[in-house]
Amino acid sequence: MKREHQETGAGGGGGYHVATAGDMTGAKGKMTAGPSMGTEDDDCGVDELLAALGYKVRSSEMADVAQKLEQLEVAMASTAAAASDDASVLPQIASDTVHYDPSDLATWLDSMLSELNAPPPPLPPPPPVAASVHHHHHRFDVSTASAVSEPPAITTVAPLRPSDAYDFKPVPAPAIASGGRVVYGLDPQSEMIVSPRDQKRKRTCSPSSSSSRGAEAGRARGSRTEGASSAKPAAAVPVVVVDTQETGIRLVHALMACAEAVQQENLKAADALVKHISVLAASQDGPMRKVAGYFAAAIARRIYRRRPLSQVDRALDSPALDDLLHGHFYESCPYLKFAHFTANQAILEAFSSCRRVHVIDFGMRQGLQWPALLQALALRPEGPPSLRLTGIGPPQSDHSDALQQVGWKLAMLAKSIGVDFRYRGFVASSLADLESRMLLERDGNEGDRDDEGEEEAVAVNSVMELHRLLARTGALEKVLRMVLAVRPRIVTVVEEEANHNGGTFLDRFTEALHYYSSMFDSLEGSGGQAAEAGEEEQQQHRAMAEAYLGRQICNVVACEGAERTERHETLGQWRGRMARAGFEPAHLGSNAFKQASMLLALYAGGDGFRVEETDGCLTLGWHTRPLIATSAWRVSAAATR
Amino acid sequence: MLTREEGEEEQEEEEEAKGRRRAFSINDNVDLLAEILGRLDGRSLAVAGCVCRLWNALGRRDSVWEAVCHRHVAGGGSSAAGGGCSTRSVVAALGGYRRLYRLCIGPALDRLAGSAGGRGSTTTTAAAAAAHHLSLSLSLSLFSIDCYERLGGRQQPPASLLFLCKPVDVS
Repeated sequence: MKREHQETGAGGGGGYHVATAGDMTGAKGKMTAGPSMGTEDDDCGVDELLAALGYKVRSSEMADVAQKLEQLEVAMASTAAAASDDASVLPQIASDTVHYDPSDLATWLDSMLSELNAPPPPLPPPPPVAASVHHHHHRFDVSTASAVSEPPAITTVAPLRPSDAYDFKPVPAPAIASGGRVVYGLDPQSEMIVSPRDQKRKRTCSPSSSSSRGAEAGRARGSRTEGASSAKPAAAVPVVVVDTQETGIRLVHALMACAEAVQQENLKAADALVKHISVLAASQDGPMRKVAGYFAAAIARRIYRRRPLSQVDRALDSPALDDLLHGHFYESCPYLKFAHFTANQAILEAFSSCRRVHVIDFGMRQGLQWPALLQALALRPEGPPSLRLTGIGPPQSDHSDALQQVGWKLAMLAKSIGVDFRYRGFVASSLADLESRMLLERDGNEGDRDDEGEEEAVAVNSVMELHRLLARTGALEKVLRMVLAVRPRIVTVVEEEANHNGGTFLDRFTEALHYYSSMFDSLEGSGGQAAEAGEEEQQQHRAMAEAYLGRQICNVVACEGAERTERHETLGQWRGRMARAGFEPAHLGSNAFKQASMLLALYAGGDGFRVEETDGCLTLGWHTRPLIATSAWRVSAAATR
Repeated sequence: MLTREEGEEEQEEEEEAKGRRRAFSINDNVDLLAEILGRLDGRSLAVAGCVCRLWNALGRRDSVWEAVCHRHVAGGGSSAAGGGCSTRSVVAALGGYRRLYRLCIGPALDRLAGSAGGRGSTTTTAAAAAAHHLSLSLSLSLFSIDCYERLGGRQQPPASLLFLCKPVDVS
């Protein structure tokens, strides 16, 4: 994230200088605070939570910073009350703009406090472009403001928690009208948790209102005024007037604020915020824009969900489309290939020296996992076994038999490479509808081929299917009991590594935001190379993959109850569930790790991917964030009794 | 004058000897030629296939490409004879070693060499390092997926190997 600062205007002070925390305590006229990037000495002891959001505050100074924030709020409220004359200050702002770097909070606060004596003149009316990169010229259309300036008071607590530092309150109307300036105050009548950008919506004010409160405040001239004025007593909520200068951060803030509004059932605020998010997102580019777009659409869907699903929505839910998007997701990023290769390796090792093997796949789709297993079985040192594959898939809306087609293709491949292959497809809308005896029974015409003496080794494979069962209570337990009854040698489970099944909506939303941001980043990273002939197709795959993820986002955010099927859980949670059901972990060997590492090395932009091994399970992640986890399980000795 | 005559005679003798030596042509010993070509890397072998019809025919022999593949991937050369036979039949069923190299191993080696070369090593050492990292089983897995995608009247062009075919940034 780059903090860009410009100093314009004739009166602007000299260039940038690195501001350290202790510098700006004097009361002077204009002060310029340059960007504090490059200040390595500031990095030590910087509070990490704030640093992740782009603000550098030393942990030791936290209390001091909070106090100064309160002082600033008081000072600004007082100056807002005092300001009455727009005309006189307008020329000042037109000629002289001073921009402050808010990332170094302590310094910035000092400079604000020292300057806050005269009301900062309002900005000249900027063009009505809602969001542009240079935030100082932002101006938002506030015609819809009145709808949102409602009294539902949402308060937060704990003044010193860093996360609270970003709960913004809207400006009291008189303050706005007087100075045309956006000021934050603690106005109990119009309290609302919104992000700084959003307060524009809430005020019908002169065109000079702007989101860059910091810039406005920075234009104050004169000596320092400290003042206990008639400010209302702080309701234990600090007001932070910050100018983030980074639409990315603001976007995240807006999303979080919107989610909080939804959680508190403040649908009107949430609605306004959603529109604002879309506007902000348009100014971004790359993965952040797409993620924000999908999340905004999902929240909008949630807000209006009482409307029955339209025809379009129903059509969009077809499994055929889902398979198509899934296929593109397979091609554009390595997650599914990783999943398939590691699971196949576990199955291969479990099947060593078995002559008859049976694989049950809980999510057959296009069957892209199985050619590699067929080839590996064919090239086993002891020769190929006879393989039986049972595939389970959802009912198709257009009555085509996708499962059978997949089986036919696999049979052709198996025949050409000399593996004795049999296939069976089951159509089931939910895995809980299956029973173990259905999976184990053989077709009639196979009876004479089987030599009854030889036992069949069974493997159960589930790639991103088990989490759907969590939507119905008891479904997962039923399925795991069924798996136990099948007596498998190995059960391979691949799941997304995230907790999207948390208690509160806000938790889920936050988790999902981080998870899908990493996902979209990785799609961008692995797809981006020089523009050549293959690029067009790559981009198409990527767009489809993003649509696939977008559907998941929509499900996580907008749906509830039985509809919400994307209930991802972390590896730790799955470990607990499998252990309770009677399985014990089987370690994935080093072969799987090596193969996965090799596979990742082949991906351009594969620098970002990380394969890690935790307690015998392999995870693939983007930079530091694991995104998908493969684990293998055996029936535990206790359960066999 | 005598010396000049002697010199001419010596020259003639030398030319005859040269003629006798020239009678040996590598193109007369196809198996030897195949053995030699099998020690090339993929790109050079493809170039060699442009020399003449004979070399082109040899460049299409799967056994030559089999040698190339095994030489360039880890774990290929050490397979036992029995394993080699079954590998051969499986690979033949999937499309042959030449196709395997063209679709999987070649691009993969380029990708690995490119990423290694980006760190400053020369092309030869990069190629050696790349070979070390690729295994035959992985390439065969990818190859089999591609083969599977081509089966049965594909509606879309098979794309599972597209991730290998992206151009390597050589800036």
